[in-house]
Amino acid sequence: MGNQLLKIVQYVLGLGPTVMLPIVIFILAICFRVKVTKALRSAITIGIGFVGIYAIFGILTNNLGPATQALVKNSGINLPVMDLGWPPLSAITWAAPIAPFVILITILINIIMIAFKWTKTVDIDIWNYWHFAFAGALVYSATNSFALGMIASAIVAVVVIKLADWCAPAVQDYFNLPGISLPTLSSAVFFPIGVLGDKIIDKIPGLNKLKADPETIQKKFGVFGEPMMIGLILGVLLGIVAKYDLKGILNLGINLGAVMLILPRMVRILMEGLLPLSDAIKKILQKKYPGRSDLYIGLDIAVAIGNPAVIATALLLTPVAVLLAVAIPGNRILPLGDLANLAVMISMVVLATKGNVIRSFIIGIPIMIGDLLVATAVAPTVTNIAKSIKFQFPAGYNGQISSFLDGGNPFRFWILKIFQGNIIALVLIPVVGFIVYALVKSTKKAAEKANVTL
Amino acid sequence: MKKKIIFVCATGIATSTVVAEKVTEYCKEKGINVEYQQCNVASLPTFDGNADLIISTTNVPYKLETKVVNALPIITGFGEEELLDKIVDILKEE
Repeated sequence: MGNQLLKIVQYVLGLGPTVMLPIVIFILAICFRVKVTKALRSAITIGIGFVGIYAIFGILTNNLGPATQALVKNSGINLPVMDLGWPPLSAITWAAPIAPFVILITILINIIMIAFKWTKTVDIDIWNYWHFAFAGALVYSATNSFALGMIASAIVAVVVIKLADWCAPAVQDYFNLPGISLPTLSSAVFFPIGVLGDKIIDKIPGLNKLKADPETIQKKFGVFGEPMMIGLILGVLLGIVAKYDLKGILNLGINLGAVMLILPRMVRILMEGLLPLSDAIKKILQKKYPGRSDLYIGLDIAVAIGNPAVIATALLLTPVAVLLAVAIPGNRILPLGDLANLAVMISMVVLATKGNVIRSFIIGIPIMIGDLLVATAVAPTVTNIAKSIKFQFPAGYNGQISSFLDGGNPFRFWILKIFQGNIIALVLIPVVGFIVYALVKSTKKAAEKANVTL
Repeated sequence: MKKKIIFVCATGIATSTVVAEKVTEYCKEKGINVEYQQCNVASLPTFDGNADLIISTTNVPYKLETKVVNALPIITGFGEEELLDKIVDILKEE
């Protein structure tokens, strides 16, 4: 029986995500009482999204593959790992066998945490459950244990929900979002780093007085805000350094610009297909807690990103990311797909510094160095996950894929290393635990003080 | 009549899709034909003046000619109906 079940699972997985994912999502949607016709339509949409991702991934590898080879040959810069950005990574995660189980267990964890008053956050941002599932998929791929993968996902979900609680008062005050918390892993885990960095900079004379005007930066660096312009500029630069001829340089520029514009749009199609399911779950959670003003609604970081200081800092960091990728020894990833998404990473750091662009920029640099090295280290595992779900790699392409920010997320990497029994990762548990505990206490104290003076 | 809307979120992919689906469906019911695009916040200045309305999930840190509506109620679900009606009113006035 067990053997047969395993055979069925393997057969379904073997169909590849374009067929397998629609089947899984259709079943899940029916379970959550989505209408059959709607469930069917959205399931098919998801499969189509994947077809689109393959097509554009092909354009990316056809252009960037030879370019990175020419780069190492003609300039000695070796950055062979491809940065797909978070959208394809999330698509791959949704197709991983662990994902549907993580959705269910995250809902369960959230309900239990609220019941026992361990959290105030009702995380209705179902789409971002993929962040938890990806942690589980990494652990599952590295340890071959589905159970460990599930435990990893569960721990990550709990930590992120707690982090969302911690920064909620600051989020509500500074971003002007009453009643809201932001359990988006790719932002929340950098809040403690931001608080710590802010405290360190406080102690450095000179530096602690610096400020910059977000509006001026937005005007001067605005070009780095548009994905297609980032792709174009990077492509042209890459072509020049790789010693392409003019035709080659211009073509690489246009093609990378195209990938930056089109690849996320394909993931959007997949996203459209997930909507009815996420809507159904959202409604169940909303119905369960009607009008509870003591609870926070957990949303995507999208509601906070329009802060001028967040945008300005992200614009400043974008060219720096490319310089760091070339300069940092041991880095093998060329930032591209995630290059337009630095605002997501830096938003909670900006919150921790209360909108100080200079401070956030300084704190952002070591974070990006860490992200680059982690994204490099995690690339083989990400590539394995992609292959395990039968993600189609173009014929002849045997390089590695990763993502600068979400592959490079240090928190998820830490969890992965803990589950692999890495000594340093284990030793870091009490160390980081103590530092975060101290930071939580200090932010609470500061908040109380502020209340008194009011 | 055909109306053009720009939907804005963090990266122009996830949350803006949620809002876009809801708004376009509602507009269709009310007989308004909507054509739309999605983008991230930092791309927004290049779209200014090319649309009838900008609907953003977040604060828009630019001074723009095009009218901007905050879509937060659609994401949280509280005040969703009222906002959708308001959007339809704005589009009909334009």
